Amino acid sequence: MPPETRRRSALAAQFAGARAHPGPALVATVTGLINGATMVVGASAIGWSTDHLVIPALGGKDVPAGAWWISAGLVLGISTVRWTTIFVRGIATGRVQYRAQAETRRAVVRRYLELDPGWHRHRSPGQLLAHAVSDVDALWSPMQFAYFAVGMVFMLLLALAELFRRDLLLGLVGLALIAGVLTLNVIYQRLLAPRARAAQAARGQVGAVAHESIEGGPVVRSLGLTDSEDARFAPAVDRLRVADMRMASVSSTFDPLLELLPTVAVLVVLAAGAPRVQAGALTVGDLVGVVYLLITISIPLNVISRFLSMLPMSGAGRERVHAVLENPDVVRFGARRLRHVRPLRVEVRAAGVTRQDRRILDDASLTLAAGTVTVVVGAVGAGKTTLLDLAGGQAHPTDGVVLFDGVDVRELARGAVPENVAVVSQNPFLFAESIRDNLTLSRDYSEHQIWRALHAAAADDVVRGLPHGLDTVVGERGATLSGGQRQRICIARAVLREPRLLVLDDATSALDPRVERQVLEQLRGGPTVLITSNRPAAVEFADRVVLVRGGRIVADGTPAELAAVPEYERIVTAYDQSRAS
Amino acid sequence: MTSLARPELRGFRTALRVSPSLRQGLPVTILLALAAGAGRIIAPLTVQHAIDAGLAPHTIGPAVAVGGAAVVVAGASSMVLNRRVQDRIEQALAGLRRAGLRRVHDMAASTADRLPSADLVTRLTSDVDQVTTFLQGGGIQFLTNGAQLVIATVIMCAYSWQLALPVLVIAALLLAAMAGMQKLIARRYHRARGDLARMQSAVAESVLGGPVIRSTGTGERTRAKLDEAVDQARDSLLRTLPPLHGNTSLGELAISTMTVAVLLGGVWWGRRTGLTAGEVVAMVFLVTFFVRPLQFLVQSLGEAQNALTGWRRALELVTTPSAVVRDGTPLPDGPVSVSVAGVSARYGDGPLVLHDVSVHLEAGEHVAIVGRTGSGKSTFAKLLTRRLEPASGTIQLSGVPLEQLDDRSLAGRVVIVPQDPFLFDGSIVANVRLGRPSATDDEVLDILARLGLHDWFATLPEGLDTAVGLRGDRLSAGERQLVALARTALVDPDLVVFDEATSGIDPATDVAVQQALAALTRGRTTVSIAHRMITAETADRVLVFDDGRIAQSGPHGDLVGVPGPYAGLVKAWNRQFGGVT
Repeated sequence: MPPETRRRSALAAQFAGARAHPGPALVATVTGLINGATMVVGASAIGWSTDHLVIPALGGKDVPAGAWWISAGLVLGISTVRWTTIFVRGIATGRVQYRAQAETRRAVVRRYLELDPGWHRHRSPGQLLAHAVSDVDALWSPMQFAYFAVGMVFMLLLALAELFRRDLLLGLVGLALIAGVLTLNVIYQRLLAPRARAAQAARGQVGAVAHESIEGGPVVRSLGLTDSEDARFAPAVDRLRVADMRMASVSSTFDPLLELLPTVAVLVVLAAGAPRVQAGALTVGDLVGVVYLLITISIPLNVISRFLSMLPMSGAGRERVHAVLENPDVVRFGARRLRHVRPLRVEVRAAGVTRQDRRILDDASLTLAAGTVTVVVGAVGAGKTTLLDLAGGQAHPTDGVVLFDGVDVRELARGAVPENVAVVSQNPFLFAESIRDNLTLSRDYSEHQIWRALHAAAADDVVRGLPHGLDTVVGERGATLSGGQRQRICIARAVLREPRLLVLDDATSALDPRVERQVLEQLRGGPTVLITSNRPAAVEFADRVVLVRGGRIVADGTPAELAAVPEYERIVTAYDQSRAS
Repeated sequence: MTSLARPELRGFRTALRVSPSLRQGLPVTILLALAAGAGRIIAPLTVQHAIDAGLAPHTIGPAVAVGGAAVVVAGASSMVLNRRVQDRIEQALAGLRRAGLRRVHDMAASTADRLPSADLVTRLTSDVDQVTTFLQGGGIQFLTNGAQLVIATVIMCAYSWQLALPVLVIAALLLAAMAGMQKLIARRYHRARGDLARMQSAVAESVLGGPVIRSTGTGERTRAKLDEAVDQARDSLLRTLPPLHGNTSLGELAISTMTVAVLLGGVWWGRRTGLTAGEVVAMVFLVTFFVRPLQFLVQSLGEAQNALTGWRRALELVTTPSAVVRDGTPLPDGPVSVSVAGVSARYGDGPLVLHDVSVHLEAGEHVAIVGRTGSGKSTFAKLLTRRLEPASGTIQLSGVPLEQLDDRSLAGRVVIVPQDPFLFDGSIVANVRLGRPSATDDEVLDILARLGLHDWFATLPEGLDTAVGLRGDRLSAGERQLVALARTALVDPDLVVFDEATSGIDPATDVAVQQALAALTRGRTTVSIAHRMITAETADRVLVFDDGRIAQSGPHGDLVGVPGPYAGLVKAWNRQFGGVT
C-alpha cells in the first residue's frame, strides 16, 4: 500500500509516510532521540573533565588516575553512541524516505494508465513526468531531515533543562539564543520561499526558450534569426540572474547572522557567568560545558529549520500528486464480453464529439459490415482521426453510441476492446526494447506467427536487414528506425494479434506506394478494416468509402458510388486532374 | 553519448577567459574570507583568555568587547563576501548561457545535428544551474570554511605544536578515509543516477506510449516494467546510504579521538611545558572548529565536482568553434545559380552517401529530385543549404564558393522547407511572420490567399491568432507544413529547397498549394524533392538520384520514355494512382 497522501498538510503527510513503514520509522526515531541526548551529555563530559582533570592538573594539584580514565572513557563512550546513532538513524531514515517515494511513484504512474484519455489530452507528457518524478521527490524530501529534526528538538529541550538547572541566567541566555535563531530562521524562510519560487519560474522560462530555440535551430539558421533569438533569450537569462541574486542577497545576510549568533551567546555567557564563578555559584567546568553546548547548538537549529523549509515545497508536490491519485476520471468498463470469432461488426449511431466547446464530430452514423474494408477520406482537419477513435472503441462519443456486434462499447469489460481491436496510429510508437518484445508485448507467439505478421506488414525485409534481426533493440520510441520502418513494425504488431477489427489511422503514409499496396493486399479477407488515407491505391481496395468534411460524414458508399461526388473526386483524383490540366 | 569536441580546457584558464568578471578583485575576496573565517574562531580565544585571567570581572569586560568587535567585523565581511562572490559568478553564468545559445546557432550545422538537442539544452540550463545550486546549498561557504581551517590550524600550532601534531595526524587519517569513502559514494551515486534515469525513461515511455498500451491492453506488462525500474532506483538509492552516513560517523569518531588526545595530552604535556588550562580548553574547542570545515569540505566535494562538471560542460559548448562566416563575400542579388562540382558527402565518419556529384542549376530553374529512400536526395538538399559540408568537391552559389559566403547575406535568401518543419509556440501569424517581422496582418493574409489556403484557414477557430502549441503540436502534420510554406513564401527566398514539404497534405490541397508555389517562386531557383509525380512533371528538369549518384537528368517528357530508374518510378506512381496516366 502506498502511504496515503490525503493529509491536509505536508507535515501530516510525513507522519502518514512514517506510519506506512513502522519498522524503520521507529528505529530512526529512537536513534534520533538518543543522538540528541548525546550532544548534551557530551558537553557535560567536557565540563566534568575541565573541573576534574584540566584545572587541578594544570593548577599543580595531583589528579587521581581515575580522573584520566573517566575523562577518556566518557568522551569516547558518548562519542561511540553518537556516531553509531548517526549511522543507524541515517540508514533507517533513508529506508522510510525512499520506500515511500517508490510506492507513491508507482501509484501515480499506475493511476495514469487508469485515467481516461480525455484527462490525458489536457496534460503534456512533460507535466505527467514531472508529477511522477519531481513532485513525488518533493513530497518526501523533508523526510530526510525528519528524524534528525525530532532528535534535535529533544536535544534543545534537554539543553534548556540543563542550562536552567545550572543557573537561571544561563538558561535565559540559552532560551534567548534558541528563540533568536528560530525567529531569524522563520524570517529567513519567509523571505526565501517566494524568491525561490520566482527563481524556479525563471529557470523554467530559460529552459523553455532554450529548448524551443535549439529544437528550431534549422529555422533559426535558415531565416537568420540568431540575433532575435538572443534578444528573446537575454531577458529570460537576466530574469533568472536577478532572481538568483535576490535569493543570494537574503542568504548572504542571514547565513552569517545565524552562524555568528552562537558566538555572541558564548560572549554573553562569559560576561554574565564570570562573576558567578568568582562567587562560587558555578565551576569553571560548568561554564566550559555550557560554552561547548552553545557552540554545537547551531547544528540542531540548522537541521530543524531545513526540515521546516522543505515543508512548503513538499506541500505543493503533495497537492499535485494527490490531484492525480484522487482524480475520479478513470476509464470505466462494463461487464460484457464479445464471444464471436468472425470479423467484428461495428455500428456508429448518431455519434458526436465535443471537446472544449468545440464540435469535432457531429451526428456521425456508419456501419462497418463484418470483414469489409472501409476507407475514410477527407481534408486536413476534417475529423477523420476522431471518427476512427470512436469506431475503434478507443474513445467514447459525447453523444450517440458505438456498437460492437450489437453491444454498446461502454458496456464492454476491461480488456474486451484490446482483445478484438488493433490500432495503428499516425505516430507509430515503439518501446525501447527488442523488435521481438515490441511485437509480442509479452504474449506467446511462435516464430512462424511472428514472421507471418512481419511479412503481412512488409516488414520482414526490414527486420532481416537489422544487425540482430528480431532481437535488435530499437532506441527510445524506436528512434533508430526510420518513420516508414516504425510504421511497418507497428502494423505487424497489430496484425500479429489477429484482431477482429483493424484500424489504420494514416498508418501507411510513410510507406512507398508499392509497399502500401502490398500491405493492403495482405489484409483482404482478414478482419474488418478501417483506414484513413487519401491515396487512390488505398481507396481502390475499399468496399466502402466515407467522406468527412468539417466534422460531418458528407458522403458514404462504394468507391463507384462516390465517384459521382465532386469533392471526393477532387481529393482522390487531384493529381490526375492536375496532370490533365 | 555524443559529445562536443573538448576544447583546450586547462583548469580555470578557459573559464577566466570566457568570463573575465571572475578575475576582478581576487585579493579583496581572499582578505574578506580570512576576516570571516577568523571571526568564527573568536569564541575559543575569548574563552581561553577568560579562564586564564581567572574569570576576573575587570579582564572579562575588555575580552568580551574585543570578541564582540571581531564578531561584527567577521559578520560584515561574510555578508560582503557572499554577495560579492555570488554576484560575480551569476554574471559569468548568465553570460555563459547567452554565449552558449548563440554558439548553438553559430556552430557548423552538421555538429548541431549530430548532438541530441536535449544535451545542448542541458548544457545551457541544468548544467549551469548546478553551479547556482551548489553555491546556494552552502558552496559559498567553501571560502570561509577554507579560511577557518587554515586559521584554526595556525592557532593550534601556536598554542602547542606538540598537541597540534596528533590532531593533524588524525585529520590526515580522517581525510584519507573520507576520500576513499567519497569515491565509493560517488560510484554508488553514479549508479543510482543511471537507475534514476532508467526509471524516468520507463515513466516517460508509459506516458508517451499510453495510447498503445491502452489499445493493446498491455497495462499489466507496463506496470511490471515500471515496478522493476522504480524498485531498482529505490534499491540503488538505499545502497548509497551506508557510505554516506559512514562518512559523517567517521567525522564524529575523529572529533572524539582528537578531543581525548588534546585533553589527556594537553594535561600531561602541559605540566611539563607550562600550558595553561585556558589553552587546553581552547584547544578542545578548536578541534571542533577544525574538523567541521574539514568535514564540510570533503562532503561538499561531490557537489563541488558536480558544479565544476556543469560549468565545464557549458564551457565546452561556448568554446565549440563557430562556423559563421562574418566577413565573407555577400551572395550577389537576384536569382541564385548553383554549381556542384565533384561533390561527395558523408555523415560523421560514416560511409560516403553521395559520390562525386556534379550538376549545374541555372538561376530561376525549377528542378525536381526523385529517387528511392536512401538514394542521397536529402543529403544533396542539406549540402545546398549548408546543413552539411561536402567531404570533397565544391559548391558555388551564383559563382561564390559556399564556404566563402557571408552568413548574413544568406539568411532568408537560401531557405530549406523540411518535411517536418518546426513551429514556435505562439500564433499562426507569429510563425508565418518569423522571417519578416515587419509584415502586416494583411500581408500574411495575402500570402495565405495566394497559396489557396482560405478553405483551410476558414476551419481555424481563431483565424490567424490560433495558437499552434509547443512545436506546433496542436496542428496536424499537414497543417504545420502549410504554415511553413506560408512562412517561406513570405520571406521570398532566391533559392528554396522543398524537402518533401507537402507530404502530409491531402491531395486536393497539395495540388492547389503546389500550383500556387510554382507561381510564387517563378523566377526563383527551386529544388523540390518529390514524393509525388506532379512535382516532377511540372519541373523544368528532373534529377534522378540512385545510390548516391545522379543517374538521370532531364525534363520529365524526355526521361519517361527511356528505360531506366525514372521509368520504373513513374510506373510505381501510376499504379498507385489507379493506373491512370
